[in-house]
Amino acid sequence: MKAPLSNHGSNSSNNSESQLTRDIRRLERDVLRMGALTEKSFRLSHQALFARDLRAALELPQIDKRIDTFYRQIELECTLIMTSLAPTDRDLRCLSAFMQLVRDLERIGDYAEDLGEIAVKIFPYPQHRLLPEIAMMSHHAQAMLATSLVALADLDEVNARSIKYLDDTVDNAYERVYNALAQQHGISGALEPYLLLGLAIRCLERMADHATNIGQRVAYIVTGQRS
Amino acid sequence: MVLLSFCLGLVVGLSIWVWQQFQLNRYISQVLRPLTAQSSKVALPLIPRLRHELALVKYQGLQLQQQLQTYQDLLEFAPIGYLQLDDQNQLLWCNEQAREILYLQRWQPGQVRLLVELVRSYELDRLVERTRERQQLQIKEWEYHPSFENVAAMVDIKSLVLRATGLPLPKGQVGVFLENRQPLLEVNQVRDRAFSDLAHELRTPLTSIRLVVETLQDRLDSPLKRWVDRLMLEVDRLINLVQSWLDLTQLETNPTMQLARQTVDLRSLIISVWETLELSAQQRDMHFMYSGPDHVWVSADSSRMFQVFMNLLDNCIKYNLPGAKIHVDVKINARQEQVEGNTSNYLPSVEINIVDSGFGFSEEDLPHVFERFYRGDTSRTRATASEESITTIGTGLGLAIVRQIIIAHNGSIKAMNHPETGGAWMQIVLPGIMAKF
Repeated sequence: MKAPLSNHGSNSSNNSESQLTRDIRRLERDVLRMGALTEKSFRLSHQALFARDLRAALELPQIDKRIDTFYRQIELECTLIMTSLAPTDRDLRCLSAFMQLVRDLERIGDYAEDLGEIAVKIFPYPQHRLLPEIAMMSHHAQAMLATSLVALADLDEVNARSIKYLDDTVDNAYERVYNALAQQHGISGALEPYLLLGLAIRCLERMADHATNIGQRVAYIVTGQRS
Repeated sequence: MVLLSFCLGLVVGLSIWVWQQFQLNRYISQVLRPLTAQSSKVALPLIPRLRHELALVKYQGLQLQQQLQTYQDLLEFAPIGYLQLDDQNQLLWCNEQAREILYLQRWQPGQVRLLVELVRSYELDRLVERTRERQQLQIKEWEYHPSFENVAAMVDIKSLVLRATGLPLPKGQVGVFLENRQPLLEVNQVRDRAFSDLAHELRTPLTSIRLVVETLQDRLDSPLKRWVDRLMLEVDRLINLVQSWLDLTQLETNPTMQLARQTVDLRSLIISVWETLELSAQQRDMHFMYSGPDHVWVSADSSRMFQVFMNLLDNCIKYNLPGAKIHVDVKINARQEQVEGNTSNYLPSVEINIVDSGFGFSEEDLPHVFERFYRGDTSRTRATASEESITTIGTGLGLAIVRQIIIAHNGSIKAMNHPETGGAWMQIVLPGIMAKF
């Protein structure tokens, strides 16, 4: 069995694959590598925020730079292939989905960096009782990102569409934590930790949304229909 | 006439046939020549020989296939992981151990898929790429976090420290060996923790013993007092050892938090260390030389840095013959290549070289000098260390502490032998120099 993305390339000259197939496979590889980096930065931001590991927070800007480089490079290559190699329907769908998908990945990377900054700022304050729930929310969002990347690797439409339902868990957690934060009375001392927690859950909610988007784009590659 | 022409035709036909036979035989024996090198020496007729050779080749082919199968089975059940990738980073084959380490349950033998589709590890993919680019062995050790789609597994499963060795193969393929270093690291951690616990337990009774000895020292007279003085030295030595170990553990577990950074002038720090050591240096007729700028301001923990130079210079004094020279050279590296993961490297860094004119390190000691309790040539070091008064170096932890302190300052330290003096050469590089005057 061949890799899913290379199946449609079999009509090219018998033993050597077409240039287009090879190019798209390389592109897919780069997208997934970028995905792996994004996952890593998400994981580091989690470590920084919930395990108070500041070294993880310091690593984040560096990784984000690499993610950005990937983003620009993949976008450029997609355009190049579209204009020079005249891809077919499905390949074209693939390329346009890649272009949007890397944007989502890049945004997730940015939010991870933001979470790292929040982790540094919140470090001096005592841990809030809602933190475990937020950590769970972060775990869910990470699982969504992982699912979307697996769906991309397998080009699995069902898996891709299922992410939408996972997003509900994160949205509910967001609501709950937001309300709990908003309803706090008799706060003494600085407001900063509460503000930071509010920002953190916002970041996580956005990251989950972007993961959902990736799932949608994968479904689009497979079926050719936007939902 | 007809008969004649028939005969002529027959002769021509026959001669062509004979000629062709001859050609064929020659061709076949030519083909057989490389094959008959070691086999049958008896000159068989051509066709049986051909048959024999074919059977032989077939048999050899079978044997080779068997051998290949054996090797593959061996690899399959090897205790370390193995992956083989093609020129586009697609996974061709991997063994059981690799599947276990990387959670590759999704992969089926015979399936060719991109490695990143199966294992989303940037580091692994990067290693494969680099091995192919450079066409040489590449080794990398990193913490691998398997990523999971369900939350429960994500919380439960711990990361692993993996070491991968990439080997370039023909046709752009790459083979990767994977070792799981996690158990080893855990054993090390358990050992260190046990030792630290022990050190903690020892500290209190040792302090009490010291107090008792101190009291005794005042009350005893000449013959007994000598013994107690000796006892005092040994107790101090033990306390030092325990304290050094605790310091080291603390530095290791929490490297950056322990520093009380302030602006320190390196030159005056080094000079003050030397002044502390001057007495013992004079006894052994050692000479000290400093070269470099008059003031080098760095942001560092001054008491920790004092300890660094104390340990290093004391080592120089101890492990050198009388009359040796110690040279400390401080340089400012204006241009600094950017090192990954360290933002402060845009600033110039300062390089400190401590060179003596002693024996230096022996080649087999060099990679280990910063390890805890590592002592080089024991016959030499033990003897001198017990003669000397007690300092931290006598514990065998001195250089380990030095290294930890330098790492906590985001710096690096290297031990070498100086090509000119032949003595030990310690090179420290510290980032984040403040200004120079």
